[in-house]
Amino acid sequence: MTEHQASLAPACAAMLRRDLTLAWRRRGDIAMPVLYALIVTMLFPFALGPEDTLLLRIAGGVVLVTVLLAMLLALDAMFSSDIEDGSLEQLVIAPQPLALMLGMKILAHWLTTALPLIVISPLLAAMLHLPVAVIPVLLLALLMATPLLSLLGAVLVALTAGTRRSGMLLALMLLPLCVPAVIFAAGAVAAAQQGLPWFSPIAWLGAALVLAVVLAPMACAAALRIALDA
Amino acid sequence: MTYASTAVPLLEARALSFQRQDEPVFAPLDFQLHAGDLVLIEGDNGSGKTTLLRMLAGLLHVDEGELLWQGETLQRDQCAGQILFLGHQLGLKGDLSSRENLRIAVGLHGCRDGVDIPGVLSNIGLHGYEDEPVRRLSAGQKKRAALARLVLLPAMLWLLDEPYANLDRTGIALVNALLEDHTAAGGVALVTSHGTASFHGGEPQRIRMHD
Amino acid sequence: MSSSSWIPLWLHKLGSPPIFYRFAGVVRPWAMALAIITGAIALYGGLVLAPADYQQGDAYRIIFIHVPSAWMSMFIYGVMGIAAFIALVWRIKLAEVVAMESAPIGAAFTFITLVTGSLWGKPMWGTWWTWDARLTSELVLLFLYLGVIGLYHAFEDRRQGARAAAFLAIIGIINVPIVHFSVNWWNTLHQGSTISIFGHSKMSGAMLWPLLLMMLATKFYYIASLFRRVRTDLLSLESGKDWVRQIAQDEARS
Repeated sequence: MTEHQASLAPACAAMLRRDLTLAWRRRGDIAMPVLYALIVTMLFPFALGPEDTLLLRIAGGVVLVTVLLAMLLALDAMFSSDIEDGSLEQLVIAPQPLALMLGMKILAHWLTTALPLIVISPLLAAMLHLPVAVIPVLLLALLMATPLLSLLGAVLVALTAGTRRSGMLLALMLLPLCVPAVIFAAGAVAAAQQGLPWFSPIAWLGAALVLAVVLAPMACAAALRIALDA
Repeated sequence: MTYASTAVPLLEARALSFQRQDEPVFAPLDFQLHAGDLVLIEGDNGSGKTTLLRMLAGLLHVDEGELLWQGETLQRDQCAGQILFLGHQLGLKGDLSSRENLRIAVGLHGCRDGVDIPGVLSNIGLHGYEDEPVRRLSAGQKKRAALARLVLLPAMLWLLDEPYANLDRTGIALVNALLEDHTAAGGVALVTSHGTASFHGGEPQRIRMHD
Repeated sequence: MSSSSWIPLWLHKLGSPPIFYRFAGVVRPWAMALAIITGAIALYGGLVLAPADYQQGDAYRIIFIHVPSAWMSMFIYGVMGIAAFIALVWRIKLAEVVAMESAPIGAAFTFITLVTGSLWGKPMWGTWWTWDARLTSELVLLFLYLGVIGLYHAFEDRRQGARAAAFLAIIGIINVPIVHFSVNWWNTLHQGSTISIFGHSKMSGAMLWPLLLMMLATKFYYIASLFRRVRTDLLSLESGKDWVRQIAQDEARS
């Protein structure tokens, strides 16, 4: 058994490195969600008028929803190429805990899609005149909410693994699950903006994130086995 | 050969069948696989050869009948790492080179020491193509890169779905040599194929799939 | 199937498609008749006999549809979740069918709840839609139902689709209380309209009995509708089996 455990770390490393290398080979795909988020955020002032007070009020929510939609855009591809080329079958058969390997995949996915979005989110917020003092809270909220979305999204993508490609279905399934995350993340930003205590919604998000980190990879593995009928 | 039949078989199927949309994909199958067995699965297109292999690999659930691994009901943890599966999809990432692909496979199977990936690749006929992205290789070369997994990873049971497809004459000879080495070392291999393959080590066992 | 040995025997027997098919065929007309009778009495009681509300006048009478529907939308989700759990753990085909055929009925009740809620909202709040905690939760519930239905139909293999959708239904069960909690929190944050459905007015007995009877009627309707759907589904799922051929022959003869 010790030999088996000793092989876990290299297996995790191999998995993570594989997905990061693949993402790096297709750097253009990493830029797409970022570009999308920029475009959507830019459209709001055009649609609503460049009035400072209005933009300032909606800035936090707009950035959050934009980041969420941009992530949703990239979520669909999480397993699709692995299914097409049979890598997923090899992963399921491999003598490693599938949940852990999928956890690594989710981590790689978060690093390559959500992290770039978080990096540019201050820019998005600044475009909508969000006060500088609130930006750390926004970053914190995004750091809590985006991994939650990656984890929940991974479970749902796994469920649709055996179907024809279905981005719309994924959005339909993800909406009820991401409502609480959006409420608490946007709530924290709104509270900070009004000078109210913003810590408790962040704490709720943190608690949810801890639960999701433990449970979602297992649920993802179970969902994948159902969808691939194993 | 007598000792093999008395020993506990590595893999045994009892009245194994699979249903899709409540239609049986193949009739109930019974077979025993012992150490050193090479089995050819024969049948027409759609007779369930691939389904059977996927089921043995643990990718599909067992609907009816039983699958025994060394005398006990087959469970995922029990045979983990003992089974290698080569399917229609080869399980190679097109954006990675064959060397990188194999390094990942080795990492996933958790074997680290004594692995000579470049050596294996040149033995298998990919010398000079080690660092070429797999998507730029020909169909036969991709197949060879996938076959390299069989050499690199230790496993008792090989499940090869159409290993001869896309291969030239030397490639076919290569697969046969791999199979001979594997069975001579006490391994078991199940192979599906339309074409007849010639083995030096006598006549393989056959499982016929009928509708 | 050694794991099925500790399921009660009668449940196991009822889980066999031909037996359930016959059982449902017997129960269905009775359930439908009871649903119509109790529903008619409840409507008469609610729309005619019950007195008008001293604040809302006759507009409140929509609760005789709205509240039972809201209740059924939750109840059916619960039934679907339990059936989904049984389907995943024991791979019982009937449980898959019950879970998947409950979803459209539940979605319909959720939809009725939303429509009647917004009709009621017009005289109450002066607007068709308000982001009230309960209505918002109900809207999220509708999306949960639609997700389950959509996922079920996205698969080519119906049993595989049923298992995947069953998994989603179970995730939804965990999600519903979280959504309700978060929406409540959100309402307090934004100080939205928090008028509760019943306000502070007490319900008189003349209002209460039609409401309870209507709840009973919707239950009977659910049973009748579910059994009809399950029966047709079982026939098509088991079309290759002997008992279905037997039924086809019997029907051809009569």
